[in-house]
Amino acid sequence: MTHDVIGKPSPNVINHQILTGSAHYLDDLKMEGLLVGKILYSEYPCALIKSIDTSKAKELPGVVAVITHEDVPGENNFLLQEPDQPVLMKDRVNYLGDAIAAVAAETEDAARAALDAIQVDYEPLAGTFDIDTALEDGADQVLPGYENIIPANLYERGNLEEGFQEADVIIENTYQSQWIEQAFLEPEGALSYLDLEGNMVVYASNQAPFRDRKQIARSLNIPEHNVRVITPYVGGGFGAKDEIHVQIHAALLTQITGRPVKILRTREESILTHVKRHPIRVYHKLGATKDGKITAVELKAVADTGPYMNAGLHVMWFVGTVGSGPYYLPNVRLETLAVRTNNPIGGAMRGFGGPQVALAYEGQMDELAKALKMDPVEVRRINAVQSGQVTPSGSIIREAGAVPASIDEATRMIGWEKLDEVERQPAPHLRRGWGMSTTWFVVGLGRGQDNASVIVEMATDGSVVLRTGAVEMGQGVFTTLGSIVAENLGIGLDSIRVISPDTDITPDAMQTAASRQTFMSGNAVNKASRVIRQSLLEAAAEETGLPIEILDLKKGKLVAEGEELSMTIPDLAAKATLTNKQMYASGFYVMDFPEEKTEEGTFYAVGPSAFGTQIAQALVDIETGEIQVEKLIAVQNVGKIINYGGAYGQMEGGCIMGAGYALMEEMLVEEGKTLNDSLESYLIPTAMDIPETEIKLLEIPEPFGPFGAVGIGEPSMLGTAPAIANAVSDAIGKRMTEIPLTPERILKAIEGEEE
Amino acid sequence: MSKIEIQICVNGEERVVQTTPDRTLLKVLREDLNLTGTKDGCSQGDCGACLVIMDGKAVNSCLVLAAQADGAEIVTVEGLAENGELSKLQQAFAERWGFQCGFCTPGMLISSYVLLQSNPDPTLEEIKKALAGNLCRCTGYKPIFDSVQMAAEVNQEVSHDA
Repeated sequence: MTHDVIGKPSPNVINHQILTGSAHYLDDLKMEGLLVGKILYSEYPCALIKSIDTSKAKELPGVVAVITHEDVPGENNFLLQEPDQPVLMKDRVNYLGDAIAAVAAETEDAARAALDAIQVDYEPLAGTFDIDTALEDGADQVLPGYENIIPANLYERGNLEEGFQEADVIIENTYQSQWIEQAFLEPEGALSYLDLEGNMVVYASNQAPFRDRKQIARSLNIPEHNVRVITPYVGGGFGAKDEIHVQIHAALLTQITGRPVKILRTREESILTHVKRHPIRVYHKLGATKDGKITAVELKAVADTGPYMNAGLHVMWFVGTVGSGPYYLPNVRLETLAVRTNNPIGGAMRGFGGPQVALAYEGQMDELAKALKMDPVEVRRINAVQSGQVTPSGSIIREAGAVPASIDEATRMIGWEKLDEVERQPAPHLRRGWGMSTTWFVVGLGRGQDNASVIVEMATDGSVVLRTGAVEMGQGVFTTLGSIVAENLGIGLDSIRVISPDTDITPDAMQTAASRQTFMSGNAVNKASRVIRQSLLEAAAEETGLPIEILDLKKGKLVAEGEELSMTIPDLAAKATLTNKQMYASGFYVMDFPEEKTEEGTFYAVGPSAFGTQIAQALVDIETGEIQVEKLIAVQNVGKIINYGGAYGQMEGGCIMGAGYALMEEMLVEEGKTLNDSLESYLIPTAMDIPETEIKLLEIPEPFGPFGAVGIGEPSMLGTAPAIANAVSDAIGKRMTEIPLTPERILKAIEGEEE
Repeated sequence: MSKIEIQICVNGEERVVQTTPDRTLLKVLREDLNLTGTKDGCSQGDCGACLVIMDGKAVNSCLVLAAQADGAEIVTVEGLAENGELSKLQQAFAERWGFQCGFCTPGMLISSYVLLQSNPDPTLEEIKKALAGNLCRCTGYKPIFDSVQMAAEVNQEVSHDA
């Protein structure tokens, strides 16, 4: 079937606003009588609060309100999973991002002066800054009343002992990843005000407007229907805007002052406070026969999650879910857990634990190949999961064709068969190597736990308003959803306006995370669009007298058996409206995959699968330890490209984020304190740092996806760091188990020192 | 703090602003002149989102005091469109998907514009160098390079036609 819009290289639907500077982000919003809000963050990563004295701050000129925990009328905590993080601290601080007080003032200077004038008397405590200390018997509770260990998964299948006995070779390593920062370009912010009826309106740079509404209502002790959350343009999120940041604080200040308040985090505050990618230690023991067939895997992943649960449990569940990688493991023990410390909070970041565990399982596959003197491609092919097989977490893989297909395509693109002819040592001090990674990602929040709604409305002139709760934060979801409408209704993208999330106007699409909106909201949009499509076709059939089955809508026109008729979509829209056809439709989609029977039992797919393969070519200077990634090949199955520019853009951007993760990014956290708290000291890739990339997207359809589409935002970066680590390990002949691959680590590895 | 008066020409329009000596050009543009297209990503000159053209050069407007801009000619992202239509450069960013979240885009456009003014046919290396002070977390930069190259090609075609 040929499409007019789906998969075609159309411009982004918001390109005019973005390119002319007229797109309004949070900080661009203005309001009469707006107060400047600021937050006092903790001075210590772990301390008792003896007293908080705000009296001097309150007396300063220009200061309108100073609030503490005493001013929270509802629940003084918020609840992505466990409501263990206070909105404003009372008698203790647990990390340097804890908020103690919030101020609202007429000017920024007055707000700063108020923060300076708040007197907090602390009694510093020793604190717990590494997972091993937190795990010790009798260790202090990082968060009093909560165990330090947050157990996530324990998946066991087959007989691990027998599996290892069958093995001819055992590969055992421990992999370690680092704290990293999302470093979106727009720091977090919120603007709150009371509307004329007294409802609390909160604009926020966020990823989860409806969950924000719930959390704001809960802390303000007002019904959710009296809270309205609106998402303006969002300057990147990558997971860190999935949880509440300053929304509740702004709303509390508005509740108390009755005035509009804007809180914007500075870059430093942004880095110090929001959730980070978890550093995860992954122990991995793999047994295989001499033919390369895996017989057993034992995996234990332990994450430093900071003091609060946030998404820590979910991230570690996800590590457990995808910890097998795209391989069939007959005998397995897979354990994951998060551990509380007084470090920054671990939470959602693009990939959600996937990149950390892929570093381990893909390192192991290369080590297996090396031990058996086999081609790394072969060990992956031999162990690749097949359609219909079941993973350690009990999820059935419905369609695994993208595993071999992506391996085939990536190896073809790099010329894998002829790499022997490429110089491995182009100069005495240089070593070249190649590394591949094949990865598995599960899109969405999980079967039975994921739904999305949308509203599509066609006006009498044939133009469409699409109301979505999905957040456009750069990934291109507005263009993706608009393309699905356009294709169904035979109109162009320029006839569609997408309304950004507004809890009073748009329906709930749940959070924009887990690479789920193309699949979830895409399906919802498809359903809603088809209702309106049916209305247009019925109107056309009535008008023309032709049977509805032969009619179609294409490029603005009514089409009968491929032949363009004179009626246009605007004609049909007008006609359908006049003849009482439904022109406003909501679409609702629940991820509810059917159960499937296999030899092992009855299973279902936990979510749609995204598979891909990446290959890196790296050149290492063995004198300086410097790495140049000369080439990065990335092949990913997206099921079906809907938004061409968005899909390739996600893949490209994900690879570069992955390269930064592999090579240069690391939040340096010492005794709970982030040392590199600016974009000058926390380095992300610049235009000068990026490798040459070559990208190919595959279209092996996901049976339940809209037009067969799956999701790409996060899968894009899963394989990059493992591929680069494997390439560097291949170049120097030593296994790199820790990222980032700094020159110091490379030189140490070459010298053979244990880290 | 005592007020000062500065006069700047922004996007071809003479503007007089009463401000205080401690305020930056970025704040004057965004808050006093309501030109919010220029973004504040870090306030420290590290990210390039606040780039504007000042007397022909790209500057981080968060590092320029308003007083330093007195008498200067400023171009912001709002000044790039031509007669209400996207310029060739902006069109190229649209066609090559040279933005995602859009927050770095005003700065990227400014750097690219300044580059193409002085070097209408830049090499890839020259483009990379020109954009080295602009951080982008979404695109991975390549689509931005493609956009600048496309704009340069379109300009070449136009000048060949002429």
